Amino acid sequence: MEKAVGLITANYAVANPTALTSGRPVASMPFMGRYRLVDFALSNMVNAGLRTVGLIMPNNYRSLIDHVGSGKDWDLDRKDGGLFVMPGSNFGTARNGGRFLLRDLEENRAFLTRNSQEYVVLSTCNFVMNVDVKKLIADHEASGADVTVLTKKATEANPDILGFETDSVGVKGKKFGVEFGDTEFLDMAVMKRELLLDMLDWYSAIDHKDLFCALVESGDIARVSVRTHDYEGYVAPIFDAQSYYKANMDLLSPSTLEQLSPADRFIKTKAHDNPPAKFEPGSHVQNSLVSAGSRLYGAVKDSVLSRDVVIEKGATVSNSIIMQGVVVKEGAHVENAIVDRGNVIAEGAEYRGTPEEALIMAKASE
Amino acid sequence: MSKKECVAMLLAGGQGSRLKALTRKVAKPAVSFGGKYRIIDFVLSNCANSGINTVGVLTQYRPYLLHSYLGTGEAWNLDERDGGVAILPPYATQTGGAWYAGTADAITQNIGYLESQDPKYTLILSGDQLYRMDYAEMLQVHKDNNADLTVAVMPVDWSEASRFGIMNCNADGSIEEFEEKPAEPKSNLASMGIYIFNTDLLIETLKADAKDPDSEHDFGKNIIPGMLAAGKRLFTYQFKGYWRDVGTVASFHEANMELLGPEPAFDLYDESKPIMSNASTRPPAFIAPSGVVDDALISNGSTILGTVKHSVVSTDVYVGQNANVIDSILFPGARVEEGATVVNAVMGENSVVKAGATLGDPNEETIAIGDDDVIEKGDE
Repeated sequence: MEKAVGLITANYAVANPTALTSGRPVASMPFMGRYRLVDFALSNMVNAGLRTVGLIMPNNYRSLIDHVGSGKDWDLDRKDGGLFVMPGSNFGTARNGGRFLLRDLEENRAFLTRNSQEYVVLSTCNFVMNVDVKKLIADHEASGADVTVLTKKATEANPDILGFETDSVGVKGKKFGVEFGDTEFLDMAVMKRELLLDMLDWYSAIDHKDLFCALVESGDIARVSVRTHDYEGYVAPIFDAQSYYKANMDLLSPSTLEQLSPADRFIKTKAHDNPPAKFEPGSHVQNSLVSAGSRLYGAVKDSVLSRDVVIEKGATVSNSIIMQGVVVKEGAHVENAIVDRGNVIAEGAEYRGTPEEALIMAKASE
Repeated sequence: MSKKECVAMLLAGGQGSRLKALTRKVAKPAVSFGGKYRIIDFVLSNCANSGINTVGVLTQYRPYLLHSYLGTGEAWNLDERDGGVAILPPYATQTGGAWYAGTADAITQNIGYLESQDPKYTLILSGDQLYRMDYAEMLQVHKDNNADLTVAVMPVDWSEASRFGIMNCNADGSIEEFEEKPAEPKSNLASMGIYIFNTDLLIETLKADAKDPDSEHDFGKNIIPGMLAAGKRLFTYQFKGYWRDVGTVASFHEANMELLGPEPAFDLYDESKPIMSNASTRPPAFIAPSGVVDDALISNGSTILGTVKHSVVSTDVYVGQNANVIDSILFPGARVEEGATVVNAVMGENSVVKAGATLGDPNEETIAIGDDDVIEKGDE
């Protein structure tokens, strides 16, 4: 039974834009070879049986709409429900605020009033994780809380993550940026659909704020019970090039892969007709993820390769993220780099970053 | 091609019994091939790439997997309101029902479908062959010749010619004589089992054939010779290129191996005519630090901890630490456990070679194990 509708915001600004996000919204950043960040948010919802999901679009939505299409690859092309592509304001919330702008939710009130499911699950696209949303909803129902937020104990400081101050009962306050040990908000929450509609009324005068910030700043947190649901699996917050690089490198471990795409809740994405990856005689590939459509003649080590990548003879790639359609020509060397889509690395060229600061080659113009 | 100028009827009911264990649970067109594909993908992709948007798929032997794989035909851009894929299994009527008793009988029993689509031309295809062909080009030849029937042919080795239906042609490509598996072939142009008929004549001929108690209701044995005898305009369309009818485990193995190497006999990477499939979306393949892959196709969802050489690895395959996979084909979900060896073998879907066990011998014929089979150490 479909108990909840999903609502994904994909239009907020991030504090640290890089060359990787200059041509595309965060939601359509490629990740783990063949995926895009929005796949994780969509799959989390669909894998919990949700069949009605609203996606609030950024202004530069071309790559995102190209990816999600009618929603059919997530089973969201439906007569009743399915994927709703919805407008959002240009810049979303302030860069150091939350990512659920009240104005954007209000703008799409119809999505909330026209569906009759009991709950709404909110999510963004910046956290790569595989969440059992069914369990989150069950926990929410069992606790009797008004709102349940998905959280985790911070393992390192991060200025881009909203932190919650909590007591034994639940959330009492908020802070921008988390330190080690803080309760960090993973930008996912569940509440009654009717409650969210009420809150949109309460905060209509401060609709430039984030939903959760408004809830705390208005003092309503004293009467609306907000509880936390601890997420225990692998999570990678993606807010800048370095965290993006690190998260991709984390993937080179069967246990991370298993946590991110377990067989019973695997991540869905747009289907493509690429042939299997082709490892030519003499190629040498170790500790790497290789996507379909890639042809390998050279050496690849500790790297993540997207679809349709060509690594020519005598070329070496290590500790790098190579995106769709990149060609690394004969004898070229790429190390500690993020090579965005469509680039051709010239014969014999050398591109080297450091593990602390990966070299970024922006998307090639088409 | 304009709409409903031509409809394809795809014969996909055969068992392919010579593929032994590989077709124990599925029909031959549904057998895995080339990593992420099933054999029927090649013909369906040809249809899509040739602009044919209406395909009747005639199924019979173990059709479940085939039916679920075809679905709405969406994976091949064949989900159209007016046309698309129609699955046509044998059916019962008020006067009973019967299995398809031959290639021609299968079409005869679906004359109703053909009439409902009402195409000017009907293309008859086999769902178990591997090739790329532009049917639009073949149809143009058919029209240019003002033919009643056009048979796609290709030259085969003279030594092999007596295994095929051989067309003896005139200089203009018209068919003079047709010989089914001749002992002493006069030509090496073999029929590929691909036909374009003028639909009206096809229906008329099939109806007559159905009444003939001596007929085997087979295109090669009855329909074509009959039309030739009746003085109809029969022409050939000469196909040049890769074509395989993978009848046996050995030829199936060979065809998979022909996908490998920098200049493969059959290039899956030809982007002008992509091979489409209904494969599930799985994560990229993971090659572990201990993994060695040399000269192989590796599909998404696979995890390689051991060694894979000169092999074709399908979706969601696991090759454990210190395992060796050489000259082999691993179907979706196959598992080769730690220290196991698989040589010159075909492993069915979700089959397992347990830790330390061995499957296959480089000096023997290629061995095939079926879907879900488990080989324990000591079984070999």
